[in-house]
Amino acid sequence: MDWFDSGWGLSLIVFLPLVGALLVGLAPKANEDLVKQVALLTTVVVAVLSVVAAFQFDYASSAELQLGTDLSWIPSIGSNYHIGIDGISLPLLVLSAVVTVLAIIYSWNHWEEPKNPKAFLILILLLETGMNGTFVALDLVLFFIFFELVLLPMYFMIGIWGDKSPYTVKVGRFELETETRLYASIKFFLFTLFGSAFMLLSFLALSFEAGTFDILELIQLGSTGAFTGTFAQLVFAGMFLGFAVKVPMWPLHTWLPDAHTAAPTVGSVLLAAILLKLGSYGFIRIALPILPEQARAWAPVIAVLAAIGIIYGSLACLAQTDMKRLIAFSSVGHMGFVMLGIASLTDVGINAAIIGMVAHGVITGMLFFLAGSMHHRYHTRDMARLGGNMKLMPKMGAILAFIAMASLGLPGLAGFWGEFWSLIGAYNPLNGLNVSLFRGTMVAGAIGTVLTAGYMLWMLQRVNLGEPNAEWEGHDLPDADRFELAAWAPLLVATVAIGVFPRIITEATNGAVVELVAKAFGS
Amino acid sequence: MPFEIDYHALGPEIVLAVTLMAVITVDLLVPRSLKYLTAITAVVGTTAAFVPLITLALHDDPVRSMFDGSYVADEFALVMKALFLAAAYLVILMSFDYIDSERFYQGEYYFLLVASTLGAVVMTSARDLIILFIGLELVSGPLFLLAGWRKGSVKSNEASLKFFLLGVLSAAILLYGMSFLYGLTGSVTFEGIREAAISGDQGPAFTMAILFVMVGFAFKISAVPFHFWAPDTYEGAPTPVTAYLSVSSKAAGFVGLLLVTYLAFPDAANVWGPALWILAALTMTVGNLTALRQTNIVRLLAYSSVAQAGFMLIPFAIAGVSDTPDQLESAFGATVTYIVIYAFMNLGAFAVVIAVSRITRSGLIDSWSGLGARATGLAVLGSIFFLSLAGIPPLAGWFAKFVVFSAAISTLNVWTTSLAAIAAVNAVIAFYYYARVVKAMWFDPAPTTAEREALPIVPRTLQYALAITVAYVLAAGFFPQLSSFFGDASRMIAAGN
Amino acid sequence: MNQMLFRFAEEAPEFSTGGAMQEWAWLILVAPFVAVAGIVFFGKRMKYQGAELAVGMMAFVFVYGLILWVQTMTDEVVYQKSIVIAEVSDTLVFEWGWVVDGLSSMMYFVVGTVGLMVFIYALGYMRGDIRYTWFFASLSMFAGAMLVLVAAPNLAQLIVGWELVGLASYLLISHYWEEKENSSAGMKAFFTNKVADVGLIIGAIALSGAVGSFRIDDILDAATHGDDVLNAPLFGSTVAIAGALLLFFGAMGKSAQFPLHIWLPDAMAGPTPVSALMHAATMVTAGIYLMARMFPLYQTMAQDARPWMIGIGAATLALTGLLALVQNDIKKVLAYSTVSQLGYMMTAVAAGGYTAGLFHLFTHAFFKALLFLGAGSVIHSVHSNNMSDMGGLRKSMPVTFWTFVVGSGALAAIFPLSGFFSKDEILATFGHEGYTLVLGIGIAGAFVTAFYMTRAVALTFFGTYKGEGHPHESERLMTVPLIVLAVLAAVAGFANWPGVFTGFTEWVGTVAFAPLGDYHPESLDLTLAAIGMGAALLGVAAGWLLYGKDRETQQARDGFWIPGLYDALKAKYWLDDVALGIVGVIKGPLARFVDWTNTNLIDAIVNAAGISTKWLGELVYGAFDQGGIDYAINASATGWGAAGGALRKLQTGRIQQYAGAFVVGAVVLVVGFVIYIN
Repeated sequence: MDWFDSGWGLSLIVFLPLVGALLVGLAPKANEDLVKQVALLTTVVVAVLSVVAAFQFDYASSAELQLGTDLSWIPSIGSNYHIGIDGISLPLLVLSAVVTVLAIIYSWNHWEEPKNPKAFLILILLLETGMNGTFVALDLVLFFIFFELVLLPMYFMIGIWGDKSPYTVKVGRFELETETRLYASIKFFLFTLFGSAFMLLSFLALSFEAGTFDILELIQLGSTGAFTGTFAQLVFAGMFLGFAVKVPMWPLHTWLPDAHTAAPTVGSVLLAAILLKLGSYGFIRIALPILPEQARAWAPVIAVLAAIGIIYGSLACLAQTDMKRLIAFSSVGHMGFVMLGIASLTDVGINAAIIGMVAHGVITGMLFFLAGSMHHRYHTRDMARLGGNMKLMPKMGAILAFIAMASLGLPGLAGFWGEFWSLIGAYNPLNGLNVSLFRGTMVAGAIGTVLTAGYMLWMLQRVNLGEPNAEWEGHDLPDADRFELAAWAPLLVATVAIGVFPRIITEATNGAVVELVAKAFGS
Repeated sequence: MPFEIDYHALGPEIVLAVTLMAVITVDLLVPRSLKYLTAITAVVGTTAAFVPLITLALHDDPVRSMFDGSYVADEFALVMKALFLAAAYLVILMSFDYIDSERFYQGEYYFLLVASTLGAVVMTSARDLIILFIGLELVSGPLFLLAGWRKGSVKSNEASLKFFLLGVLSAAILLYGMSFLYGLTGSVTFEGIREAAISGDQGPAFTMAILFVMVGFAFKISAVPFHFWAPDTYEGAPTPVTAYLSVSSKAAGFVGLLLVTYLAFPDAANVWGPALWILAALTMTVGNLTALRQTNIVRLLAYSSVAQAGFMLIPFAIAGVSDTPDQLESAFGATVTYIVIYAFMNLGAFAVVIAVSRITRSGLIDSWSGLGARATGLAVLGSIFFLSLAGIPPLAGWFAKFVVFSAAISTLNVWTTSLAAIAAVNAVIAFYYYARVVKAMWFDPAPTTAEREALPIVPRTLQYALAITVAYVLAAGFFPQLSSFFGDASRMIAAGN
Repeated sequence: MNQMLFRFAEEAPEFSTGGAMQEWAWLILVAPFVAVAGIVFFGKRMKYQGAELAVGMMAFVFVYGLILWVQTMTDEVVYQKSIVIAEVSDTLVFEWGWVVDGLSSMMYFVVGTVGLMVFIYALGYMRGDIRYTWFFASLSMFAGAMLVLVAAPNLAQLIVGWELVGLASYLLISHYWEEKENSSAGMKAFFTNKVADVGLIIGAIALSGAVGSFRIDDILDAATHGDDVLNAPLFGSTVAIAGALLLFFGAMGKSAQFPLHIWLPDAMAGPTPVSALMHAATMVTAGIYLMARMFPLYQTMAQDARPWMIGIGAATLALTGLLALVQNDIKKVLAYSTVSQLGYMMTAVAAGGYTAGLFHLFTHAFFKALLFLGAGSVIHSVHSNNMSDMGGLRKSMPVTFWTFVVGSGALAAIFPLSGFFSKDEILATFGHEGYTLVLGIGIAGAFVTAFYMTRAVALTFFGTYKGEGHPHESERLMTVPLIVLAVLAAVAGFANWPGVFTGFTEWVGTVAFAPLGDYHPESLDLTLAAIGMGAALLGVAAGWLLYGKDRETQQARDGFWIPGLYDALKAKYWLDDVALGIVGVIKGPLARFVDWTNTNLIDAIVNAAGISTKWLGELVYGAFDQGGIDYAINASATGWGAAGGALRKLQTGRIQQYAGAFVVGAVVLVVGFVIYIN
């Protein structure tokens, strides 16, 4: 399969969705089935290709960037169409390709107002191009384009299909009446744009210093300590803004609960499963290896922010009454573990971060699916009114219980390893980092797991257990239908598979991570 | 043999001149019912003007100089000529139906439009103050009239009068500055001035002269605080004219600014650099902030074009502090690239405004509500252009922002970085008001009355204009080389080589 | 991908005496989970709703465990094999594996035996339950998780099993989740354990981080060789000691050591078979097992951790035993007795009585399972947990009665029942190691134990029946397990009769790292035995004296009534109130405050930034762009006034302002720069 390995495979994975979007656009709006079929077919093909990529990938040398190509793109600024995957990006690429398929299967007959599947599917496909592209891009400009490309579709998803309930922006005495979706969408966009504007400046400064946009060359330079002093400091600061907003790290996280709560189900799923990963991926792929010295300097800050995020997010969850908002806040905590792993700058920690990203994608994505389906039936997310779900919808209730357990990091399920390993990483951070501080964050993280268990079990008790609320008598509450089950099964399987046999991730990542750490931090 | 005229080099100008005559003649001959022929003549003319342009570009030595180097057709000139012609072509396409429907004096309209274009085309080749000034006035003159073309409306008259008064004022200041320059350097050619400046002393008078000249151009590019005319004039003038004002006239101003700064007194960068730093920062910030509260779509675009001018000024500010000729060149190229991209996306935006106003019959942003449901095609196009103006990838606009940012970062010191930071914040602010239009189109419900009214079809010519612009905005978004090519081609002349 | 999945074949076992049976021993870890999966997906369609699958798999575990146990007895087998499931650095790996040695196969045997009995019993007890199928799935998972824990050759896998046990207990305790109390009880159990698990996880990471491997044998190797990495400072102590104590903290949760025992009594909310399994075989023994597994560590580099452990253990022993005195719910009596027995075990292991502790675990498993199943059988027929609704059942339920008496006797450590031997060995250990105070507490505990068991027996089976309906003996499915367990409870003690037959000592002693400094008496210390026995008999007598015949009120029946103490006991030392208070604060004010800061602090800043930008826009547009130019005008050249006057005929007079601004701008710029340049 030379044609595949020579970059065509990845290029197709990235741009087929764009073509699909075009085709969907051309398809007559009236013929809804055709529209759906085209979209589904496209994403399925992409997913298959991504799996093929996983098989073509040479795990023995997972530190190498494989299946890629490097063509001139914008000669005037010396930016190239340089793509490729290594062990770090492979799992995320597959995740994003697969989750998109599931998103489309799920939405097959779950169209939130105002319906219009055509437009919605076009947005999903655009989104996929952005997500897949980010994971294969090896050129800063290319990376930036894909990184930004995901904003517009998500902005429209939230704005058009989002939560229409009224919302009041309050600052002191000032009050502004608006709608949740409007507030959330613009907040999401401005927040991210603000971050990425400075990230772009950092990229440019870096390229002027190094004379190239090529990430690999920059890493090479970085490992030889080419970037130092105030310059490197500013550059890292810019990148930090860009990535930390996306992750999101405390205290830059406030766009997340709003966006998640307001977004349509599929929107939240993709947002949680993939979009948040772009930030942490950026740290691993760009910030750490290119600016190792600064990474060392910033590591304690990141670790502390991550630890705060873990505790803060979990406590905030305990205060939520809205099921979806609770899940949204849980992301803050879980991504905190990811960032804690990264901050440790050790191979264990970064492996933890990656498997944590995948696990969070699978699990939290699943949780948002459930939140959506339940809202679809109950027409409320207020946990005070829910209850006895186990009785009303046994299947969905059981799945909710299962995935909630996975989310609280139950051993044997996907969520556990990421948390466990990042704690190991934080316990033994990179030589030269302030050990006692990192051990403090480690303890904080461990306490965070308790709180996580707390709010998850509490949610289960309020939503799943007990006698059903009287108000649901006579309501038609169908249990999970076959589209839902079809969309969910892969995620549930993955949750168990990764939990029982994490090697399916680490086999890819470890080689690359060890190489990365050795190169950047010479350990 | 200095005074031999190179007709090939003058090709575009000649064709345009002929077109002028042709338009008038046609207007005289044909009956009222056939007046649209004037438009066709103008279209044909502007298209024809491309021919010599292309032959020149393809010629192995495109650099041709006349009149002791006062009039030069080099890559920069060719690029900008092409841009002005393309802009004129698009504006005429946009005007076609608009003018026709409003029972205007078509012949004169197109005559003036072409005349203004000719002026711009001449400016690009001007390498001395006099030709530059003539060209500039030839650009402005017709516009004073066109701005007031909607004779019926008081707003329009007022617009043109303001434009005129301030225009002559700026012209006066410009000329004043130029005369000083001549007095100090004893030369009107840029080369002469540069050499004189190098040898002669750069006293306060010289500085003052430079600044006066720049104020003159600052008016044309509507930089703060010389922008006050823009919103009122834009609002009052017929929309196609507004489009032309916001693109060609602004671009002409930048051509002048580029020429004098980089060619005439590059060594005085320590003067105009800081000056333009302030102008840039002020212009984009004020432009964006004021745009935030606009309710009228044209006024919004007016302030947006002010802010965009601020971005275009960034490279100048950097050139002031940049030391290597390469950086000068990249700064120069950055501005040109930005102008090229801006021209297409802004014209596209105006084309959409014209099309939409035929539906809504209102200039208010609120009247765009629910357009996504009523006229999906237009809403999509509108979103593309407005988001491109906001600089969101993968639309062409991102590269415009990208090049000015990279120019700003090319030399790292407190001035450049701070300006870059200001620009970054401005980019975020800008998104907000562009997004407001998008929000109105897609997120807000259509006004109940809107559903019932029949949708007038978008006239063919306007469709062409939209097609061309959107094609460019999308293509250049994915292949920025389409834009940066022009910047690169023209950067040669910077740093005085 | 392909090259990764099947790379295990060549991986060799770390320890390998023994043969095929040990090699395939992983089957007993998988079997229960096969049952779980099978029941979850197909249970409803099976003839007996999946119960048969559960019982079948459990029977398999029992048989296999028995075989392994026997093999260990005959030839000293120590087998351990691991499979790599993740490499997370060039050195650190994670593995699934299984250990087959004396210690683990003893546990396999216990889990298998008790498990099978409980499963069979449950067939009858749970018949017609709303979630019959689900129950057996969870029960299988409970057993499976415990086996995973027991088989773990590394701490990571141990943690996995450890927390899965917690999950299963949560599911089973809140089996009847329609009532909030039950689901809350489940949460309490899970949550208390989770708190303790923090200790376990940090401890495991600390030890493994130092040694560079999660393998228990590597850690013990380092410990026994006094490896310096374990002397590295940690939390103001050494890694070895801090780690050991953290592991112990984890054990305190699962093995319900004071004050983390509070979850156990509430765990009675679950169906009785669950209690039987939980208290005998699967859950509470985990902590003791961990301590025994890590025994060499505590004997070598973590010596200094032992006093703390002994203190906690003794406190548990003493305080919780007393609580059993005032319980009216028969299951709660047994629950508190379990806690205090766990105190015995923990103290013993901590004091250096490896064999003693494990032996008590061994015997306790049988008689405590027996007692719970007996209690269950009683509850089943009188439909109440309260002893105030019972009485005089010895006639109507003879089998239950006699087996219960045997169990009580064993628990009360009456010769020759099993409890006697194990408890005596513990006391002997205390004596030999010179913990006189603890020895005293132990003996007092023996008295208390005998006392409350007599009380329970008397209140339940003697006097007159006080409940409704006509109690009847339970069916075969339930009585047979009772009898089997009764036999085991009676004879298990002979497995380790000092001086006569001490097989058990050798069996549990066949481990990779010999339990150094483990004390086991050569012969029965008759004086100590006599004292212990005396205390027990005294307790029986006292109990019979007070509870032999009926009293009117419960208050009156608790005839030993002592003012202060009684209230404290009734209030369970107020520990629950404290715990609930802490949780309440976190869940209530603290959480709400954090959420408040999110909206009213962090987010407020964000919104403020946005809004103030808008306001700035207003200002710039209103004041600078449209308005305030007038000032500029007045300041600007007067000449413009004339022009202004001429131009005021226009609709808006702004034109001259613009011009003014224009000029002002130009002038300012020029003048400013002329100055700036020179």
